[in-house]
Amino acid sequence: MNRRATTAAIAVSLASALTLTACGGSGGDSVAADAKQTLTVWAMGTEGEKLADVAKDYEKANPKITVKVTPIGWDVAHQKLVAAAAANKLPDVMQMGGSYLTEFADMGALEPIDTKTFQEKDYFPAGWEQGEYDGKAYGVPWYVDTRVLYYRTDLAEKAGIDKAPATMAELKQAAEKYQKAGSRYGLSIQPNGLDSVQSFYQFLYSAGGEIVTKDGKAVANSPKAVKALENYTSYFKDGLAAKSVRPGYDVTKDFNTGNVAMFFGGPWHMGLLDDNYPNLKGKWAIANVPTDETSASMAGGSSLAVSSDSEHKAAAQEFIQYLTDAKGQSDWFERTKDLPANVNAWKSGELATDPNMKVWKTQMESARVSPSQPKWTEITSKIDAAIEKAAQGKTSAKAALDEAQSQIEGLIQK
Amino acid sequence: MSTTTPTRARSGAVKAPDSGKAGRRKKRSMGKQNLAGWLFSTPFLALFGVFMLFPIVATLVMSFTDFGQRNVRRPLEANFVGLENYTKLFGDDQFLRAMFNTAYFVVVGVPLTIGLGLLVAILLNNGIERARTFFRVGFYAPVVTTIVAVAIVWRFVLDPTDGLIAGLGDELGFTAPDFLGSETWAMPSLILMAVWRNLGTVMVLMIAGLQAIPTEVREAARLDGASAWQELRRITVPLLRPTLLYTTVITTIGYLNVFEEPFVMTQGGPNDSTLTVSLDMYKQGFSFFNMGYASAMAYVLFVVIMAITVLQLRLMKDNTK
Repeated sequence: MNRRATTAAIAVSLASALTLTACGGSGGDSVAADAKQTLTVWAMGTEGEKLADVAKDYEKANPKITVKVTPIGWDVAHQKLVAAAAANKLPDVMQMGGSYLTEFADMGALEPIDTKTFQEKDYFPAGWEQGEYDGKAYGVPWYVDTRVLYYRTDLAEKAGIDKAPATMAELKQAAEKYQKAGSRYGLSIQPNGLDSVQSFYQFLYSAGGEIVTKDGKAVANSPKAVKALENYTSYFKDGLAAKSVRPGYDVTKDFNTGNVAMFFGGPWHMGLLDDNYPNLKGKWAIANVPTDETSASMAGGSSLAVSSDSEHKAAAQEFIQYLTDAKGQSDWFERTKDLPANVNAWKSGELATDPNMKVWKTQMESARVSPSQPKWTEITSKIDAAIEKAAQGKTSAKAALDEAQSQIEGLIQK
Repeated sequence: MSTTTPTRARSGAVKAPDSGKAGRRKKRSMGKQNLAGWLFSTPFLALFGVFMLFPIVATLVMSFTDFGQRNVRRPLEANFVGLENYTKLFGDDQFLRAMFNTAYFVVVGVPLTIGLGLLVAILLNNGIERARTFFRVGFYAPVVTTIVAVAIVWRFVLDPTDGLIAGLGDELGFTAPDFLGSETWAMPSLILMAVWRNLGTVMVLMIAGLQAIPTEVREAARLDGASAWQELRRITVPLLRPTLLYTTVITTIGYLNVFEEPFVMTQGGPNDSTLTVSLDMYKQGFSFFNMGYASAMAYVLFVVIMAITVLQLRLMKDNTK
């Protein structure tokens, strides 16, 4: 072989070896908050897209800081975050849901937040709790969400319903009346599939039940939980709710046609209905979750967390402060209609005056968070399975939850 | 033959008078050539090592540990648990269900795919002269369509209220089952979808195989008065055996790994009736983060695939004798 070919071969192999090792870390000391630096931020879905505009405003006010926002899709978010955590390459600031936060805090990938700067009393309790793990706060609540009852007011008139159902018994009656008046299904709740537990929470929490207590005891088959699941599955048995729903089902479509008269939805459904079905405006309303023992809904939303590997922790914290103080939160609400996690933002403007916002606020105040268990996804998958079995009438609610209970006991971490 | 013999003779003739000196020189140049070979294959070997060999070995090691989400950043803290993951697997109802479902998929899906593939290939190869290209493209299109688009189409076909089949049922006066929501129908629906998607690949391979059969053989058979059936049984199938073997093996391996169809259509439901081994593995590994357990599943699946493939190769080989 001549020399040139040998050189080429060596070059090629060296190049490939370099590419493979090029992802080495660049560890170093942390940078002061006012030094010139670039913050990397990851946010999911719509938030990821809108956050870039906020970042631009922030850069104007803080010329030394460059904020680089990367929007990532929810469908790939988990995978990307895990890969980044494994490679010690998490961004400085990242958006995280409650279940993610527990998981990554458990991995040791997150930096506890400074509770002097961010104070618990400024946020909805359910929002704050989502950022806690093992007694420490790892996330600052950014926006919150919960579920309330959406119902068709025009169809209610025809069905002879004069007010929003206030109790679980009234909810059932309303569903029957709607159906008699021509709706295919009185209520839409999820009978099977991933995260059906999210529509079950409203029934479970309102009945006074829960899956795992805060101090780590499985109570999935408590009499209250059984009663809640019996109530939930009775809608399928009586034909008041669809017995099978495919992945990717969009309830607003059926709500628009009147095929579905009521459903439990999040704040984003208001925007979806207004944008996609402008003709429906004025024909629907929202109400608090009907009371069983109490009216309690699930709490969702996202927190902002700082990576434990970040070299820009000080600046990251200032950026988060900008996003989560009362002013930043009102601004964010204007842009996205995401519900502010900071209660002080609710004291003025549309948030204080709009009657719909009042519904969200009262629901949010009593909304409940799932306990921070690292295996929460696996735990709720057992409840999903129980819901599915009971919804199809394969086993009784009690038997389904008994089975789930024994499986969940082995998954709890104390 | 006629070209290789003289070359060999010549190289032999050159070699004969070689003394030690020439031999040494040759050896040295051989070494240099080896070096070049190694250099040229280094990029491949490096990539293969990093992206294939390392994960394969790492998975095996992981399958003997309790690797979970805590170990993402501290992999060395995972505990060695011996065969625990494997023994646990065989008492795990969900996994056994997944094994059963996967077997169901293979047992029904493979003969259907191969049978229909052969039928379509023969029809396209002999029958329809005019619209041949149209049909070939039509049958092949599903192969190159992304699963997301496929899912949208099939959900529309199978939807129990607004779907194509349900609509047809309304017209003709029968009630279509809730295909994806029923434990009985969900699996057959997914198999149907998989067959539809894979038919194209099998068909193309079979058409290639069919065209390799010399026309004289067929003509001779026809002159001897063979019927179409006899021609298929005695000529087409035996001469197509290598193609049949190949397509059967790859289809079987593909179906043993089936993941996309249940993932996009049913997520394993209703009641785990479409949970396949790959989907179960995905859930354990990436949703629940039981990496050690998922790795053990991967190895069980690997051993099953290996055993079935070897068995198929054996059986088909014995038949030819």
